[in-house]
Amino acid sequence: MRNFIHILFAALLITGLGFLAFITVPVQRTEPQTALADDWRPEEGQGEYAMRLADCAACHTAPDGELFAGNRPIESPLGTIYSSNITPDEATGIGGWSLDDFRAALYDGVRPDGTHLYPAMPYENYRKLTEEDIRALYHYFMEELEPVENRTLQSDLSFPFDQRWGLRAWKWVALGDPGFVADTDDPVLARGEYLVEGPGHCGACHTPRNNLMAEAALETPDEAFLSGGEIDGWTAPPLRGPDSAIRGWSAQDMAAILATGRNAHAAINGEMQLVVRDSTQFMNDEDLQALAAYLVNLNDGSTAPDRAEETETEALLVSADPDMPLGPRLYLDNCNACHFADGRGADEVFPELDGSSLVTAQSPTGLISMILTGSELPSTAERPSSLRMPGFGDRLSDEEVAELASFVRSAWNNGAQPVTPAQVAELRGDAEAKRD
Amino acid sequence: MTPKFLQSSRRGFLGGTAAAAALTTLAVPARAQVEVVPLDRYQPDYLTAGEWAFVMAACARIIPSDGDGPGAIEARVPVFIDRQLAGDFGAAADLYMEGPFNPGSDAYLGTQTPLTPARIYRDGIAAVDQWCTDNLGSPLAELEPEDQDTVLRALSSGDLNLGDELREFWALLVQNTKEGYFADPRYGGNHGMQSWIYIGFPGARANYLEWIGRNEAYPLGPVDIAGERA
Repeated sequence: MRNFIHILFAALLITGLGFLAFITVPVQRTEPQTALADDWRPEEGQGEYAMRLADCAACHTAPDGELFAGNRPIESPLGTIYSSNITPDEATGIGGWSLDDFRAALYDGVRPDGTHLYPAMPYENYRKLTEEDIRALYHYFMEELEPVENRTLQSDLSFPFDQRWGLRAWKWVALGDPGFVADTDDPVLARGEYLVEGPGHCGACHTPRNNLMAEAALETPDEAFLSGGEIDGWTAPPLRGPDSAIRGWSAQDMAAILATGRNAHAAINGEMQLVVRDSTQFMNDEDLQALAAYLVNLNDGSTAPDRAEETETEALLVSADPDMPLGPRLYLDNCNACHFADGRGADEVFPELDGSSLVTAQSPTGLISMILTGSELPSTAERPSSLRMPGFGDRLSDEEVAELASFVRSAWNNGAQPVTPAQVAELRGDAEAKRD
Repeated sequence: MTPKFLQSSRRGFLGGTAAAAALTTLAVPARAQVEVVPLDRYQPDYLTAGEWAFVMAACARIIPSDGDGPGAIEARVPVFIDRQLAGDFGAAADLYMEGPFNPGSDAYLGTQTPLTPARIYRDGIAAVDQWCTDNLGSPLAELEPEDQDTVLRALSSGDLNLGDELREFWALLVQNTKEGYFADPRYGGNHGMQSWIYIGFPGARANYLEWIGRNEAYPLGPVDIAGERA
């Protein structure tokens, strides 16, 4: 009996010590993946360009705040996370961070003091950054940027998710190998692959999350990678496979939407607007072409889904029959002027609704939000006009929005499930709460 | 990759303002039919009782009710005018009003009066009513329709001269009457989209491309900016 107590005591002690070590022993930081000379310097503009590729601005700048001074609220299913100040301010930013500190944040998701960063910071993806890009980013944030004093808010997560030490175990499961290895011999495709998997962190939204809320796949060969995810309730459409939102798009279509937010088929919406506004529109032609080639290749040259040219929907709308059901009638009264009876809109101005990934997404959140509050394209150097769709929330009741959304989800060649007024009411409430 | 379809700035403007409005006033959809106050019980925002009677009478002669379509009164044009005068239009909020003013200058030089539209109505109505009282025994609103027409004709021809500062009064009155007749109902006139129905305008639906060139009537009634159908 005494033996048993001894053993139990010893076991508890070991577990306790292990636990303590788990919490307190510093994380082993990942080494640089390439040895660069100490006096390596980025070329003029290289640092800023790397910042654009990694789209640091979108999250690290508050809606009306100073660039990179943090405090943008990022809604997660577990609570609100506030982005940090990444200007070189000593007291409130990352001033004083060494290159190794900086790399550890990008690769291992830890601060210099060992605190684990929430994976809202996409270090799952940044782990693939080249040492050149890390050094360029470091140079940009430390030497090219002015410090801004701005203390950021404490993230507001509920127990147990506010216990950051737990992230250590999460990282064992979630993180892949550091560094980037291309899945192709083609240098153009490899560049595109790097941009997507690494700095562009496209998978953070476009790849589904697993049970642990980690990206289900981090690399191109895995078919789960870029197979569609969700961001803030909106669907980040699949970029590959049979439901790919970009199936059949040409390389020009791909490049156009990344550079200008619009192309012959679609207009970007939701969070993707920030991506185009702060990141992809600044890509040079070479990178745009590489990205476009990668995306075309990812869709394996598959052609656009077959769509009937002449549809019952179009015939009904063109008939202007006063006895038509409420759904198509609301479409005629509210949408038809721009999106037209054939649901094909107009190139680079009015997105197509027939076959639109926003319209037919499994979750109607994006579509309902779009009808209620509208949307505005970012102004880009190549297409400066920030085209706007007005919101129809003040014009249509919940029942009418539901009728209209249900109609467009099943119109032309679309075949998505209907929407209920309750779903509309909930999103209308959210939109109002956000505004107040 | 040239866009097939370059939008006119007007649509952009309408969309823009609608979006801005949507962002600020998402609140309750304006579906509920607001009870419409009959014109004889309407409480004007800007016009005095006498001025209201003048505008009612003048509008009723400019677009009379006994023609083919609705008259200015059925379309509630006086409400439109009163609300415009009470707002930015009446206050000349969008006009350059710093002078120098030279009201007597050539009409081709545009408006040169120091008075706001609201003031032009106030002084113009007072001057015309004074003239009517002096010459015909009562204010315009109390005259027989034939006499009202005579006065308005004199005003339009310039025979009834109100002076340089008020010389735009008649043009404003006619212009605002037309605007109130055809503008979207949200501004108080074109009640029930009656003028749109009358001329076959589909309203804020703005697209019936497939019907252009077809020699038959477009079957659907108009829609206004608030989404109401008529």
